[in-house]
Amino acid sequence: MVRQWLAIAKAEYLVLSASMRPHRRAYLGILTSLAIIWAIIGAPILIGGLISMIIPMATLQPLLQVIFPGLMRTVALFLWIVLLLFPLSYALQEIKIGQWEIFLSNNVRTRSILAGTFFGKIPLFGLIVIFLAPLLITPLVLAFEVNLIGQILIYGVITLMSLGTIWLSNFITGVIQARLGESSRGNDIAKALAMVVAIVVIIPMYGLMFFLPTMSEMMGMNAFLVLPSTWFADTMSWFAVAFNDVGLTGSQIIGFGSILQLDMLTSTVLMGGFVLATVGLALGMSDRVFTIEAGVRTEIVTTVGKENIILRGVRRLVPGSFGSLMVTHFKDFMRKAQNLSKIFYGVVLATIMPVLIMSIDIGEEGLVLGDMFVTIVAMMALVGAMPFAGAGFLESKDQLWIIQGAPHGASRYVKSRIVTQALIGIVLIIIPTIVLNLLLEMTFFETLMLIGLGYMAIFGGMLVSTGVTAGNPNYEDTKSPAHQTNVMMSVMIAEFSIIGVLLVDVFVSIALGIDFFGILDSILGPANIMFGMSFIGILVQWMIGGLLVWTGIRKLSSPDN
Amino acid sequence: MARNGTVIRTEGLNKNFGPVQAVRNLNLEVFSGSRFGFLGPNGAGKTTTVRILSGLLKQTSGNAAVCGFDMNTQRDAIKAATGLLPESPGLYSKLSAVEFLEFIGALNGKSGEVLNRRIDSLLGMLGLEGRQDDLLESYSSGMKQKVLVASTLLHEPKLVFLDEPTSRLDPSASVLVKDLILALAEETETSFFICTHQTSFAEDVCDIIGILNAGELVVHGAPNDIIDSMKVDDLEDAYLKVVGGQVDRKALLAWR
Repeated sequence: MVRQWLAIAKAEYLVLSASMRPHRRAYLGILTSLAIIWAIIGAPILIGGLISMIIPMATLQPLLQVIFPGLMRTVALFLWIVLLLFPLSYALQEIKIGQWEIFLSNNVRTRSILAGTFFGKIPLFGLIVIFLAPLLITPLVLAFEVNLIGQILIYGVITLMSLGTIWLSNFITGVIQARLGESSRGNDIAKALAMVVAIVVIIPMYGLMFFLPTMSEMMGMNAFLVLPSTWFADTMSWFAVAFNDVGLTGSQIIGFGSILQLDMLTSTVLMGGFVLATVGLALGMSDRVFTIEAGVRTEIVTTVGKENIILRGVRRLVPGSFGSLMVTHFKDFMRKAQNLSKIFYGVVLATIMPVLIMSIDIGEEGLVLGDMFVTIVAMMALVGAMPFAGAGFLESKDQLWIIQGAPHGASRYVKSRIVTQALIGIVLIIIPTIVLNLLLEMTFFETLMLIGLGYMAIFGGMLVSTGVTAGNPNYEDTKSPAHQTNVMMSVMIAEFSIIGVLLVDVFVSIALGIDFFGILDSILGPANIMFGMSFIGILVQWMIGGLLVWTGIRKLSSPDN
Repeated sequence: MARNGTVIRTEGLNKNFGPVQAVRNLNLEVFSGSRFGFLGPNGAGKTTTVRILSGLLKQTSGNAAVCGFDMNTQRDAIKAATGLLPESPGLYSKLSAVEFLEFIGALNGKSGEVLNRRIDSLLGMLGLEGRQDDLLESYSSGMKQKVLVASTLLHEPKLVFLDEPTSRLDPSASVLVKDLILALAEETETSFFICTHQTSFAEDVCDIIGILNAGELVVHGAPNDIIDSMKVDDLEDAYLKVVGGQVDRKALLAWR
């Protein structure tokens, strides 16, 4: 009998590795070999060498032994979130329940669908784990000089954690996809969720980068105990302690017990129980998850009401067909959940990033907002670039045909789109300014500068994104290389066109002996140099953005070859 | 019917996509007020031809004039004078039918009361007045096609390109579109260039037929003339005689 789950797993794997299709076997072989060499040889040498370069291992070892159980919980939490949410976010970018219809009509058991989609993901995400795991394991192994059996057991826990988490993620993805359904509306909500899921990952990432010591203090060890990632982390810590070659005494081991709070058996049972429970739960519920029905989600008919005061205001301010285009863009943009979630994403980034930067402890005086202004403005550019890069510009090539079908259609489309997005960008500066005012106690002048220069940077970022996307439209395909390129290019150009000015200044000072900072100092005063630098950076960004929009319009307008 | 001019004239039109020659040496003349049916199997080059003639795609070689405007130098003028119904719908899912048509009107430089009245009349004509304020995401494919037909006719083009206009429509909606084309052609002298697979539709609607096979125009003439000259019963038989496609039942079940 044909193993149905294997056929599904194979198809899933082929889809995931489609980008390396021409030389799939060779690439996968090379990647797997590299991953194994990295895990067994590269990572221990590299990490051990790096640690020894900073502090001799003999000095660091006792310190590592003390901090590691706590650190392990934080890092395991991060890894768990990544493994849980990234596959989820990736899968939500494209609802695929149409395939379920094929499976179910071919009498495939729902458990086979679940198992097949899970095993299909293993090669790709397994590779990611093999690359990441040594970074987590090596310091622990070095700190406790864990013997071979201990190392095998620790890698076993990492494997179990990875498989269990991907299984859970796969199951949650199925549940969400089934609830949303394969409709235009469902796809939109799924993409919005995929974006929000990414925020959930990014915030802890920044938290880990900047607040690691403080967070451990704030959360305390107990807060971690309810998290499944902690059970995996503690089991690994226990294995490291139990199979150590540093000669820990009985009292030292008891000391670790009081830090970890749960003993080895409890941690292992909780860990194993969690994995078994998720497997059992998913298999038990698979019949209920993989169902196709025309529920309310596909039957919802949204009827538009009267235009609100903002849209009426736009019509009054910009009469004629250009105003009509702007109103259409507003409606199209604001009614898509994925766009709203991108705006939310931008606002969150605009708010947390300056706070994180300002919280860097560099001395008794700390940072003055003015000193960091170029960095904050560059981040605002990123915030302006992200919501408008890649998806959300044109839904399909057919839509482009329609737009191109009108005389100067593409040009009018892009120009009206830019004016609309400039108005939407106001939200991106107002909300963060209010929050930052409350958190950072800014002066009136600083607030004014943040609103003025911050908005200019957001506008510039939006200009760059629109230009890049118009030049290379990726439509709604957020998994395409074109989308990744558009997002990366937009963000990089928007940000580095501002920061680049600083670098050019330094170069000009060193190479040509022109003291640009001195000139600005004499014009604006020492306290305002960074505001001046930000302004110059934004001018450069606008010029690049303008050029990109111009070339984008030309490309979008010209007939295909 | 007035036949006082030419709306399309092509001379040795060619289009290559790498090694694939999609259109071969197309020489064609379509008269004002006529309804030209462009038949051909999948991949014959019908959509490519329409895209070239509507100014969306560059030809590899050859020349064309559409509505008296030169294909190489007056693309925007061609776009202003023509309307295109694409093969697959590129609608905005989060706009209602009225909002989408307002968008198309605005792209063509139209706005205000005149546009609104035109939108209302087209939606009424196509039987969408009850659903005009619902988001397009909730429309069936046939309803979407009707909205696209309305968008094509919105700016009152002299020449309308219809790429598979009835492929997603039920029989009654197809009849509606057929009557709409006939009425517009007779009352307003609008010319139609219709790509279709449906030979019966082409026979009913079009006064001139061209059959394209592997990028080459192999048959050209009035439907009855084609039927008579090929000594067949109807246009479908003529089509099958030209492009092939008769089913060999033995071969069909040979795998059993």
